[in-house]
Amino acid sequence: MKMNLTEILSLDALKIGFVSGKKENTLLPPLYARAGRGELIAVIGRNGIGKSTLLRTLIGLQRPLGGEIFYNGKNIKDYSRMDLAQIVGYISTEIVRVSNMSVYDLVALGRFPHTNWIGKIEMKDHEVIMDAIEKTSMGSFCRKYVSELSDGERQKAMIARILAQDTDIMIMDEPTAFLDIAGKYEILHLMHMLSSKSSKTIIFSTHDLQMAINQSDKIWLILDNELVEGAPEDLIIAGAFDHLFDTSSVRFNSEEGTFSFRTEEKGIMYVDGEGYRKRWTEKAINRAGFTISKEKTLPFIITPSETNNYWQLTTAGTVLQFGSVYELITYLNREMIRPI
Amino acid sequence: MILDIFLGSVSIKASEVIKVFFSGTHSNLETIILKFRLPKAITALTVGVALSLSGLQMQTVLRNPMAGPDVLGISSGASLGVAFVILGFSRNISPDSLNGLGNWILVAASWVGAGAVMLLIMIISSKVKDIMTILILGIMLSGGISAIVTIMQYFSNETMLKAYVIWTMGSLGNLTASQLNVLLVSVSAGVILSLFSSKILNALLLGENYASSIGLNVRFSRVVIFVCTSILAGSVTAFCGPIGFIGIAVPHIARILFKTSDHKVLIPGTILTGGAVMLLCDIISQLPGSESVLPVNAVTSLIGIPVVIWVILRNRKYTGSF
Repeated sequence: MKMNLTEILSLDALKIGFVSGKKENTLLPPLYARAGRGELIAVIGRNGIGKSTLLRTLIGLQRPLGGEIFYNGKNIKDYSRMDLAQIVGYISTEIVRVSNMSVYDLVALGRFPHTNWIGKIEMKDHEVIMDAIEKTSMGSFCRKYVSELSDGERQKAMIARILAQDTDIMIMDEPTAFLDIAGKYEILHLMHMLSSKSSKTIIFSTHDLQMAINQSDKIWLILDNELVEGAPEDLIIAGAFDHLFDTSSVRFNSEEGTFSFRTEEKGIMYVDGEGYRKRWTEKAINRAGFTISKEKTLPFIITPSETNNYWQLTTAGTVLQFGSVYELITYLNREMIRPI
Repeated sequence: MILDIFLGSVSIKASEVIKVFFSGTHSNLETIILKFRLPKAITALTVGVALSLSGLQMQTVLRNPMAGPDVLGISSGASLGVAFVILGFSRNISPDSLNGLGNWILVAASWVGAGAVMLLIMIISSKVKDIMTILILGIMLSGGISAIVTIMQYFSNETMLKAYVIWTMGSLGNLTASQLNVLLVSVSAGVILSLFSSKILNALLLGENYASSIGLNVRFSRVVIFVCTSILAGSVTAFCGPIGFIGIAVPHIARILFKTSDHKVLIPGTILTGGAVMLLCDIISQLPGSESVLPVNAVTSLIGIPVVIWVILRNRKYTGSF
């Protein structure tokens, strides 16, 4: 089924890479992808595969080595810099270092493509700027200097800057890379709100696959031989993430949508119990190298319940009790219990 | 408001200058003031404005807080242009005797020299991001240029050599009326051009990638700033010699005074501060109340160097110093 109505960006056999001298250095085979209005799209791929180059090419900082990029059905080559700046905004991984610049001034820079030759901020511009600052909940930081902000606050100010630029598309290169967990989720939440409530199309690269799977509407998965796009679940079902790692020691768990290390198989074990206690115990047993048995076999573990508050391990000859998962795992690792 | 206070302080300083002049002399008061003191004050003002503005633009475009016409060898480039004219082509003509066309040739040579070095620095800056590397290259460039000038001096005759050496000391008072006209016209052109550049410079604050992403034609902008700084720094150097540390220090003083990074404020602010600082330097170099006069270059260095040192030290502690 085609959904051309909402399509805002499409890549047609796009070749990206660098030109050094007369030699063209193409990074990837021709790429095909689409983005719809209001979609939150995560760009995933191993380090150095060309995520940043792709994003830089989309914003027009680098020339495509072949193929086409269409914004609203119009080729990027037919846009002037100024016109393009009214459709798509950009945040790079570069940390902005300017002193004496207030948050308001930074956000006001987003009005660049909308103001006159001297950059005069009219009433209308002022309203857009204040609105962008409100939306990113930076209201109390308005007069603060950018150099005084924390990493997360600065990133929010940068997002406010593209909001003020008033573009339909926002391209962000690893917007959460240098943030702590709280900052990461705050920025992600903001991005999510902007895509769903203000119908901004946000294309961002990230290394946090878990986050991408949980939050994004669509993933552009860059592999060595192609770009695979689709809802995160589509890619999981198609087994696309299995190709992400060449190493055999990491594998993608299609059941849970998580990554785990391939460890030496130590055998099977059954976990008897209910609810989240059972689930987390199974996870720990998994990590210790055991496969979870579907049927009740030996050895087995009984998780804590209303009547007992310990983990009970039953093997062929012994019954042992542990006060915590940690003690249980430590014991399993030390004793290397062999299956029976 | 700060702007108004500052405007006031400039005029106060200007009036102080006049007062100093009045109290220092008793005969031919009018001639001295109108024919000598006033042109000198105007020259000082113009020089301060031009050097400071070119420094501000270079610092923003190169994203280098240590950029300035003298530090990066732009002034040296202009000197080379001047040396070619004084020592090379116009035999037996000293800069004092130049007029009309000759002055324009001198200025043009200076622009070309300044422009050539500026172009080189801009090309290197786009490849090398490290501020210190650029600075060292600027120093090397200055060294190379003065070596060439020394060779030219070696092969030139005594009167021309003397004219050139006096020129290198930097002076605000030796301009003829026609030279002052040329200086005023070309600096005005540079100032007008720079007023148009405030939006460009603001966009460039975040670096060229961001500037480009918000719709700036970076290549065109670089050309505008390039022309502007070459005219401003070149014109001053042509007539007043290489005057140090004003171009690098004043933009920082303006940033402290106006507490902003917005060039809509910084450009007028730098113009005012530059004019005021240069007038102050001129007053100090008069040594009010005494007979002797200091070379203005020594005064600007003494005022500028502490600012530069402060910027270096602050740059170590904080992120960025624009």
